[in-house]
Amino acid sequence: MLTHRPSRPARRLIAAGASVAALALTLTACSSGDSGSGSSKTQDANEKITLTVATFNNFGYTDELLASYTKTHPNVTVKQEIAATSDDAKANFTTKLAAGGAGLADVQAVDVDWMPTVLQYEDKFTDLSDDAVKDRWLDWKTKQATAPDGKLLGYGTDIGPEAICYRADLFKKYGLPSEPDKVAELLGGKDASWDKYFQVGEDFVKKSGGKVAWYDSPDGTYQAMVGQLANPYENSDGTPKDLATNADIKALFEKVATESKDKGLSAHHQEWQTDWTASFQKNAFATMACPPWMTASIESNSGGVKGWNIANVFPGGGGNWGGSFLVVPAAGKHTAAAKEFAAWLTAPEQQLSAYKQANNYPSQVEAEKDPAVADSKNDFFNNAPVGQIFADRAAAVTVTPFKGPNYFTINKAVTDALVAYDVQGKGTVESNWNAAVDAYKALGLG
Amino acid sequence: MTALTTAPTPPRVGPPEKRRRRVGFSQRLSRWDVKVSPYLYVSPFFIIFAITGLFPLLYTGWVSMHKWTLIGGDAGYTGFDNFTAIFQQGEFWLSLRNTFMIFLLSSVPQVIIAIVLAAILNQNIRAKTFWRMGVLIPYIVAPVAVGLIFGQLFADQYGVINTALSAIGLPKIGWHSNTFASWTAIATMVNFRWIGYNTLIFLAAMQAVPADLYEAAVIDGAGRMRQFFSITLPQIRSTIIFVVITSTIGGLQIFDEPRTFDTYGTGGPSHQWETTTMYLWNLGWGPQQNLGRAAAVAWLLFVVIVIFALINYFVSSRISTSDARRGTSKQSRGRRGSTDRKGATR
Amino acid sequence: MSSVPMTAQTAGKGAARAAARRRGHGGFGSNRRPKWLTYVILALVVVLSIAPLYYTLLLGSSDQQTISKHVIPQWLPDASIFDRFSDVINTDSFNFTKALTNSIIISVVTAFSVVLFSTLAGFAFAKLRFKGRRGLLVFVIATTAVPTQLGVIPLWIIVTDLGWQNKIQAVIIPALVSAFGVFWMTQYLESALPYELIEAARVDGASMIRTFWSVALPAARPAAAMLALFTFIQQWTNFFWPSIVLSQDNATLPVVVKLLQGSFHTDYSLVMAGVFLTTVPLIIVFILAGRQLVAGIMQGAVKG
Repeated sequence: MLTHRPSRPARRLIAAGASVAALALTLTACSSGDSGSGSSKTQDANEKITLTVATFNNFGYTDELLASYTKTHPNVTVKQEIAATSDDAKANFTTKLAAGGAGLADVQAVDVDWMPTVLQYEDKFTDLSDDAVKDRWLDWKTKQATAPDGKLLGYGTDIGPEAICYRADLFKKYGLPSEPDKVAELLGGKDASWDKYFQVGEDFVKKSGGKVAWYDSPDGTYQAMVGQLANPYENSDGTPKDLATNADIKALFEKVATESKDKGLSAHHQEWQTDWTASFQKNAFATMACPPWMTASIESNSGGVKGWNIANVFPGGGGNWGGSFLVVPAAGKHTAAAKEFAAWLTAPEQQLSAYKQANNYPSQVEAEKDPAVADSKNDFFNNAPVGQIFADRAAAVTVTPFKGPNYFTINKAVTDALVAYDVQGKGTVESNWNAAVDAYKALGLG
Repeated sequence: MTALTTAPTPPRVGPPEKRRRRVGFSQRLSRWDVKVSPYLYVSPFFIIFAITGLFPLLYTGWVSMHKWTLIGGDAGYTGFDNFTAIFQQGEFWLSLRNTFMIFLLSSVPQVIIAIVLAAILNQNIRAKTFWRMGVLIPYIVAPVAVGLIFGQLFADQYGVINTALSAIGLPKIGWHSNTFASWTAIATMVNFRWIGYNTLIFLAAMQAVPADLYEAAVIDGAGRMRQFFSITLPQIRSTIIFVVITSTIGGLQIFDEPRTFDTYGTGGPSHQWETTTMYLWNLGWGPQQNLGRAAAVAWLLFVVIVIFALINYFVSSRISTSDARRGTSKQSRGRRGSTDRKGATR
Repeated sequence: MSSVPMTAQTAGKGAARAAARRRGHGGFGSNRRPKWLTYVILALVVVLSIAPLYYTLLLGSSDQQTISKHVIPQWLPDASIFDRFSDVINTDSFNFTKALTNSIIISVVTAFSVVLFSTLAGFAFAKLRFKGRRGLLVFVIATTAVPTQLGVIPLWIIVTDLGWQNKIQAVIIPALVSAFGVFWMTQYLESALPYELIEAARVDGASMIRTFWSVALPAARPAAAMLALFTFIQQWTNFFWPSIVLSQDNATLPVVVKLLQGSFHTDYSLVMAGVFLTTVPLIIVFILAGRQLVAGIMQGAVKG
């Protein structure tokens, strides 16, 4: 029952309205004054600022390295934010870019696969052209970050020149030569070609009685091949090529599909899936396309397996898979200071230090020549001379594919069909190719 | 002062007059109080919803009528072009099919199993608290975590389930390659998480059923099953409707579980398990970055959900035994609780 | 839900029944304890419920290579899982203690606020008569049909304009009310709050808010307790929006667990240890609040 407390109407009213008022108060009290998006492109050299650099996975930038920048630039403190996966970082990057750029770090690490977006929206990024950094990087690396009108929008960090990683123990077991230089010779050496690679593969699969496949995944192999075409899906002016009449891609698709499934060369896994990760422990395959960062994956997935090695060869000569850049979003508050910092961070000395930390193979010409890189070896891969191997492979890269705004959607249509055929066992080569063409048509790219 | 003078007799100069004045004022206030308080009480919900729910809804409607890329923004009014384009996409219809099938495979078992479990828990069992809490444990595991764990279970080649199957000589099931199997796997993840939740909701409703109804039935000679179907179910009718509607709405929006079913999160190479919310997400935030079309899909999904919720509402209203006094829950609500109908309880 | 008011009778026809009811609360109208089959089914259900969590303990006690070799690396968890726990807590990738604190704050504040506002609104919808009541209630239900992915970008714009990026207000404010909560309390109060009680309060001269505090809230306790628990759990396990608006130095636990997944290689033992750690606080809340919850449900039953 109610107690007999004298209750005044005024008090009641206030109590009733309190919940609404409290809400309003919360909203206003918590909202700090406008975050102020005015970006100062020029600034007082003595103004104390904090620059944020957002990276993902492991770029090898230690706190000491970043602190050393403050020694030479006392008014600048550097903070690093690390996203675990490049997917998380990409989602973050795109969302914030989409909302106008607020929330992006002053310096953003960007994977080469996102560069088409950067190049497409070049006015959202600062022009980083500077004579001081001319010729710092390999030509094809710089090209990946250069807009059609000549603006340089990203400074290169690492690259992904591919070699062939292989299981020397399995090679030996099934009667193939297992020394790295012999393996390079086996695959054709300087004239290594995909036909030769597949041929040796068929031989190997026969010898192993079908127990061990030649490579890990159809999509991994396919993307290595596509990475050697100059204009796989689009013309250099950005217009897409009709997939139905794209003879090059159709040929690649049919080749990979037949070799993977009909000839049994693939272990029938899609890259990065749970099964693929587990397959490293099951002796499921003997070779794979291998950029420097992949060695970390192989090592962590194959703990306990001792036979991995790297051959200094790649079908088609050379190819690049991956690599990153540093970009400076135009919405940042200190774009000039950020540009300066990015230039410093991607200088050969700093990249060397990163290499020592994370084994990200540098894209800077000078850094590659440095003994610390050139003479480096990888324990897990039986002391393979990775510095030498990847330098050679990087030099052998002649073509990097043009990636316009529609590259990835079209690529997905093709790889989906490939995976449906080989990994999921659906349909025929013909029917899956038609599915890919249908998916292309559905994009409405006209 | 003696007790006599403090006795509350009406005509007094001091306090009674004050009381009279106060009564008058408070009467006016009281009337105003009755009129306004309901709106005040429901306003926090609507205010916050207006900002965080309604505005995005309308904004997305606006976006759906334009050519709109994720980063580039507004690129011109296109009317209903996005909608017509979506209708022509095979992927859209596939996603609807997937969504609907996963919804059926999850919501139907969910409701049935939850009711049965609740009935079991409703008995006079020992260690009630332990059992009741036990069924809710799956709910506290984050969906992301559920996805990670079940991903290990349902891997096609080396997953726990397939390894167990082949160990006893049965063929492996293509959880990712076979379309129906993928629906089952995802529905299992969803059911795992939500059955316990719905069980407790039904349990709360069953506990509110008056025991003397059952006792009367026992006296009349009704067995347990009969009691269940003739007393329990009708009594918890409005809860059943509530659960059916909420699991319809939730089931048609399933996103987390199918998204974490594989590492790419795009619904499979042949769009086997791509739900409509995933299709929406891939359109807008995937490589296509076509926010205009994504917004169109979002609105279409919204319409589909509303239609389905209404259908389910009418279906479940009719399925349960109708009691003349009860009518629909809205009617009975009106009869039971309004402040203007004095004494019309029931 | 029935609204037959139950008054304890100590004499007359119903006395025996009431006494029996008081002796042993039986949902099927008897004191009979169920047979062993019931317990077998329940045990099976609980085992199935706990199995995945147990599996995380198994994976957490192992290491990635063993997991790749054998999907069930071992049958019993062992002490090495504590090493993984400390790896997770002390990792450089994110601030675990901050994430834990944030999760607690967000879950507690939203649980409290959702219960308060939902009971307020539920009271109004269930027992008060005002213009537009039906339409507004239907509208409330309709709002649950709005997919969350729909609102991400506009919400992001609002949050940015208010300067709430990477602040937990951005996660709390949109979650302060819940349509489900309003609907839930409306349904419950409709039947659990007899009109007589409200009438009695009004006759005594109580204002609306007084009636609400002294009559409606106590009547709503069981449902409110359940709503609080559900909201707490929901906010605790919420991933999508916090992952967008918060950075890893100020995140919540589920977001942070995802960060344990590496880019090119994932150590599942670490991830599973993290998953378990993020569930532990909920288990604790569960154990503490569970008894209250169940007691609340039973109380609600006696009441009617």
